[in-house]
Amino acid sequence: MPPDFREPHHLPNRRLPAQAHADPYDLPRQRRGITPQMHGRYPDYDVLEQQDHWDEVTRKLILDRVHQVPEIRFFDEAELETLTVFADLFLAQDSDPRIPVMAYVDEKLHKGELDGYQYFDMPDDRETWRRVARGLDEEARRRGADRFPLLGSDDQLDVVHDFGNGRLHGGVWDTLNVSRAWSVVTRHLMQQFYAHPWAWNEIGFGGPAYPRGYSRFGSPHLQSAEREEWEGEEAYERDPVQDTQERGLQ
Amino acid sequence: MKGLMSLVKGSVVMPKDNDSPYLLDMHKRGLQNLDRMAHYPLSEPVDLLVVGAGAGGVTLAQRLARAGWRVVILEKGPFWDPDRDWVSDEKGSHGLYWTDKRIISGSDPIEMGKNNSGVGVGGSMTHFAGYTPRFHPSDFEVRTRDGVGFDWPISYWDLKESFERLELELPVAGQDWPWGDPHSYPHGPHPIAGAASVAWKGALDCGIEMRVGPVSITNGVFGNRPHCIYRGFCLQGCKVNAKASPLITHLPDAIEHGVEVRADSMAIRVEVNETSGRCTGVTYIDSDGLERFQPADAVAVCGYAIETPRLLLNSTSARYPHGLANGTDQVGRYVMVQGATQVAARFPDELRMYKAPPPEVSSEQFYETDSSRGFARGFSLQTVAPLPIDWAQHVQSEGHWGQALREYMRDYNHWTLLGVLCELLPLAENRVTLASEKDQYGIPVANFSYSLCDNDKQNIAYATKVMEEIWNHAGAQDTLKSDRYAHLVGGCKMGFSPEDSVVDSSQRAWEVPNLFIADGSVFPTEGAANPALVIMALSDRLASLLKAKRVSRPADARKKGVLASLRR
Repeated sequence: MPPDFREPHHLPNRRLPAQAHADPYDLPRQRRGITPQMHGRYPDYDVLEQQDHWDEVTRKLILDRVHQVPEIRFFDEAELETLTVFADLFLAQDSDPRIPVMAYVDEKLHKGELDGYQYFDMPDDRETWRRVARGLDEEARRRGADRFPLLGSDDQLDVVHDFGNGRLHGGVWDTLNVSRAWSVVTRHLMQQFYAHPWAWNEIGFGGPAYPRGYSRFGSPHLQSAEREEWEGEEAYERDPVQDTQERGLQ
Repeated sequence: MKGLMSLVKGSVVMPKDNDSPYLLDMHKRGLQNLDRMAHYPLSEPVDLLVVGAGAGGVTLAQRLARAGWRVVILEKGPFWDPDRDWVSDEKGSHGLYWTDKRIISGSDPIEMGKNNSGVGVGGSMTHFAGYTPRFHPSDFEVRTRDGVGFDWPISYWDLKESFERLELELPVAGQDWPWGDPHSYPHGPHPIAGAASVAWKGALDCGIEMRVGPVSITNGVFGNRPHCIYRGFCLQGCKVNAKASPLITHLPDAIEHGVEVRADSMAIRVEVNETSGRCTGVTYIDSDGLERFQPADAVAVCGYAIETPRLLLNSTSARYPHGLANGTDQVGRYVMVQGATQVAARFPDELRMYKAPPPEVSSEQFYETDSSRGFARGFSLQTVAPLPIDWAQHVQSEGHWGQALREYMRDYNHWTLLGVLCELLPLAENRVTLASEKDQYGIPVANFSYSLCDNDKQNIAYATKVMEEIWNHAGAQDTLKSDRYAHLVGGCKMGFSPEDSVVDSSQRAWEVPNLFIADGSVFPTEGAANPALVIMALSDRLASLLKAKRVSRPADARKKGVLASLRR
């Protein structure tokens, strides 16, 4: 059974240690629009259906983001392959449809639209990305594979885990502050992933809101927040028969 | 009259001496009088050259233009038209932030960019949340009262009238304010959303009072500025013209009175006369990439806590080999940030915090020193409401990634946040110096070194516990904490003597009689309030001092400017 989302038991900090990792595929399958991996909490909500209510400048920006995925100009092929595997692990994009995050990261680095700061013990963000790609491949070789994408999936997860805890050493990692390198690359990945309307569908975010704005945003006198008629409804239940068929499990 | 004012809310009372709300258009967000903007020639000095079109610079320019001064503002970034340039989108608002490189160092390096640095006409206020509290009277005598930090060379009462004037001009909306010097606001409190009401209830349950506001967001029509539509994108630039920034609160009137703004113009050096020691104007790179020199009788640097010290340090000469106004090695020191830890809380109901302005309710109950807490000074509490990208960064700060990150993100609509602003103390080694790296103009970038002291750490830890207690009382099912910092002030301290500061109580550089600094960098201490209103109030006061010292020019300033441009 899918969890009741009024309760917090599905949250990583509130799970009993004995409980298995929450299975995102236990969530309702998306019925309208697209979410990454087609699961989410708002199966009948597609933020892109609201585009007629957005101002022109915003609409063009968001639709271009979805439909005009930038071509790769910054990374070479090998870097891209390694970093895409890393990015999909960090963001748990384990099946299609996937948000092509590395294309957006590549565009940001190619255009030099950086975030305005550089730690004194770190290179420029662009160089950090290249070194992380090299470092992941070096770490894979230490674990017996030629390159990071060729490493077994458990080992890949292990490497990402060690990277997140600042526990990668030797070779190119010694030229970086590993924890800060993690914060640089993961910040960029989250910026791109959660800028995408497919991710907004998954989490039930209202998206652009000009010129319409909101007139229903809850009040101290109500038990739960009010919702605009067009905002998505959180689904606690799904029809198991229909879902099994849709997912091709029978 | 005063009692009456607190009853009459909304557009019944409009500001005097600032027609900006009427100079805007109801249906277009960009400035409507740009075709009338003056153009001054490079061949003769203007009365005042302002560097930086933010809260400090634009307010000062508007006031002095009204007094007949010929003023030019140099601004590194673009001249925004909110209709054309701004979007209802987090990622798409990247251009509002100062994203040129800065090196960060020290034991607690401060991440720069979107959270604390603006670029373009309107400055950081184009993307600030909108909270505009006053400082408390105690903020100006921290050394005397608490034995830490510094006293200001001015008092709260020197700024009180400026606060009142500006609260009417922005305009500020909120409940009657019980803390500091009690006061009321010209616009009534905005309705609060479900998300903020949860914090309100939790706080009340543990004996903490909160109030709605104070936010500089119209609550009612204000001239040609519309009512807020509660779309939640305050930090992405207000496309409605409901939230204040100097772009709409002061610049329309400034332009009407002869101010010229040169956008896309990066100041690289304040020039001096080696004999007299006075400054003569500013060299800048214009929008075509050409180096220009604008002469001026006086210069006001208004580039904020990083760029103001950087410009002065880069302005070396034979007379000022260590940088301008830096003879006693004070430029760049005592830069401050506020401890802005946020604690998010999870509730059974959907709260959808992306709706309504992120700044909603706040409390200054912990603002003053309380010796029982074991540290000096205090903090304020405010609701905040991150959009998805910021929410992801909040979740990740507890180490979540992969499926755990996605799970917390899917839970977005059940969460709401409280943040604090802890007053951190000014330390001499928290400073801006020049790095070896250079920017696209070939100018050395800033290296900002920052480290916390023990009092700072105690303050942040205590404030975090208060937030957690509020959420416990509110019935939160889970919490997530993120340590962060907000706001930047200090770096060109205002003080009592050349040995202890860069500028005197009238914000004039001790060493250079016609150089002024009018931005947050002059703050000797930072209070526990958001700095925007105080920065504007200082410029309002400075303008009054300058106006009194100088006879207005006889000719109509704007006409003279226009004629001058024809001659060019």
